[in-house]
Amino acid sequence: MRLYFASDQETLRAHRLLKEWNHEDLLSKEQYERLEQETVSELRTTNVFLRLVLLFFTIVAVAAATGLFFTLIDRGFSDSATGTCFLVFAVLSYTAAEFAVTQGRLYRYGIEEALAICSVAFLCLGLVSLLSGNSHHSERAAFFVVSGMGTVFSLWLWHRFGLWYAFAAAMIFALFLPEYWTPSHAAQRSIICLLYAAGLVCVKAIRSRHRFDYLEHDYSLAEAFLWLGIYLVLNLKLSAINTPSDWWTKTSAGSEFGATFYWTTWALLWCLPPLILTRGVRLKDRFVIAAGMITTILTLVTNKPYLGWQRHTWDPMLLGIVLVAVAVLLRRWLAQGQDGVRHGFTAANMSAKHKHAFGVASSVFGLLTPHAITPAPQQQSPKFESGFGGGSDGGGSSGDF
Amino acid sequence: MTMLDRLELWKTQGTISPEQQALFSSLVREEPFSLSLELNILLYAGVLAFVAGLGWTVSTWSQQLGAVLIVLTLSLLLAACAWYCFTRATAWSPAETPAPTHLFDYVLYLGCLVWCIELAYLENRFHILSGQWDLYLLATALLFFFRAYRFDNRFVLSLALSSLAGWFGFTISRWPSFQNGAYREYALLYCLVVGVSGAVLQRLKLKPHFFGTYLNIVANVLFWTILSGIFEHEDFSEYGLWLLALLVVCGGSLTWGLLRRQFAFVAYAAVYGYIGVSTILVRNIRDEAAMLMYFVVTSIAMVVMLVVIARRFGKERQG
Repeated sequence: MRLYFASDQETLRAHRLLKEWNHEDLLSKEQYERLEQETVSELRTTNVFLRLVLLFFTIVAVAAATGLFFTLIDRGFSDSATGTCFLVFAVLSYTAAEFAVTQGRLYRYGIEEALAICSVAFLCLGLVSLLSGNSHHSERAAFFVVSGMGTVFSLWLWHRFGLWYAFAAAMIFALFLPEYWTPSHAAQRSIICLLYAAGLVCVKAIRSRHRFDYLEHDYSLAEAFLWLGIYLVLNLKLSAINTPSDWWTKTSAGSEFGATFYWTTWALLWCLPPLILTRGVRLKDRFVIAAGMITTILTLVTNKPYLGWQRHTWDPMLLGIVLVAVAVLLRRWLAQGQDGVRHGFTAANMSAKHKHAFGVASSVFGLLTPHAITPAPQQQSPKFESGFGGGSDGGGSSGDF
Repeated sequence: MTMLDRLELWKTQGTISPEQQALFSSLVREEPFSLSLELNILLYAGVLAFVAGLGWTVSTWSQQLGAVLIVLTLSLLLAACAWYCFTRATAWSPAETPAPTHLFDYVLYLGCLVWCIELAYLENRFHILSGQWDLYLLATALLFFFRAYRFDNRFVLSLALSSLAGWFGFTISRWPSFQNGAYREYALLYCLVVGVSGAVLQRLKLKPHFFGTYLNIVANVLFWTILSGIFEHEDFSEYGLWLLALLVVCGGSLTWGLLRRQFAFVAYAAVYGYIGVSTILVRNIRDEAAMLMYFVVTSIAMVVMLVVIARRFGKERQG
């Protein structure tokens, strides 16, 4: 069912690990050269930058070719004819993606990924055109079919090609499914949660068979996405992100949802983060731990709006102090264990790969930080308001540059 | 065969020692599991949240709190951060040096960001330099450059480069007859100053690992500047020089990327170059089909060229 052989992917993983260990001087030159020969994979991979550029240009080529086709051929095409053409393009794109992998042995090369992405887009466009041209189908039914097919096809791509973002796309498509069954927002959110929970049960059952192999990473990421998805669907205050001014000020507790549903979600928002963190820690799963950390912070940030309490300008300071305190105390606690290890966890230095990623990220964040830390002052603020977030961005880069 | 099976096999074959096998097996199993990345992210997020709240509080409640309390608090915080950094820092070395303590980098960030808030407050409250923001930004940039080189910190270096960019930008925003042309000239000057400084410092072996940051920032600012020159001009006599500059910079970026195996520069050359050249070529095409045909042909050509580059580099790496 999977497009890549397990042996190829294991070899590729072994090759990457060897490179990492060699970079950290854990292998001698002779050892590395010998082992490198033993881990030559038939799969063609490329650098992350070339991968992104190849993805970009392939999407441009496919989109332009499709546009050209309709410009040259389309002379009063009906919606169903247009839809059929899009479905044909979806098949062609998908076949080309499979061909690029089976014949070209491309692996995370950008080209096959772009073709797979285009096939999903064409499938959705085709179905929209076909169903909108058919008066027998209501708009809601058409939307349901498109979402459903999008979900199923994205999941297929995730399974077949191993593209992590296809799983995220499937989750996003699934968000629109319940609209067909019920107009109630509370019921819709409950159904989405049930769908994600079902996904979680499946992933949990499967991933136990893939401990320490090349698929562990994929299932770990899928589980983290599902936990995060459940949390985000349950957090009713995050949907108010369109109106941040309302979100910041005192908000009414009831809103459009019933009181029972509202307070149940509030209780669940406090239950989920410890549950996710516990699971992540138990499995020693970095992605699930990250999901737990994100949900914990979001719960702290959204608690006041949930309760309808007034937020204060110093709330972020308190949050910052809490985060730093947790990090410092946890590090100290771990460091006090035997050889700096407690229950299989350590706060010792991260791997070279993580160090490099953190270094690059801190350079990028350094450029963006002045904008991030100087929010525009509130309406009711006193006279001292022209300086922040206006001209200078607090000593960082200017608005002009 | 999983990685653990492979390690067992290599140990049996004598390619790796039993100690290495044990070490690599524990690394594959992530035993012990390092929480260092997560703890660093928590510290970073904590400092950012704290400074955001501090800035917000100062800007909102400046009247109620009073200038003395605000300046005193910010100055104390600043002094505490500076004291921590200077007392904990190891002796300066021109080479890459690790942070002396796990909190060090974050205290340094905090100090830098509090400095920004205090400076903004002082100017807005007391108008010491009568709105001469340029000088504040220049002073901030110089201070951050000093801190970045003294304490070997890339985040602070990025803050310094960002502040310097602000200084150039602010000079332009006050330019009596503001024009994009003048703006571009200053952007080019910024690239020249930063690029030459980075190269000289690298040549002098003063924190040579910073050079990548300089180069990436210069490349992006330079490409954006050149593209803005191309976007703005319609006649060949006006954009010709910008086109020439684009081709030269693309060639330089591509060569650098290929020689140094820094593929980000190959990507810059491909994407920025394609956008710039396509803008000029497509500008006068009125026929929709011809325009789409152009994109089909050129994007496929780009894919082929990039695949050739990727394959060639793959071969060289194996050999």
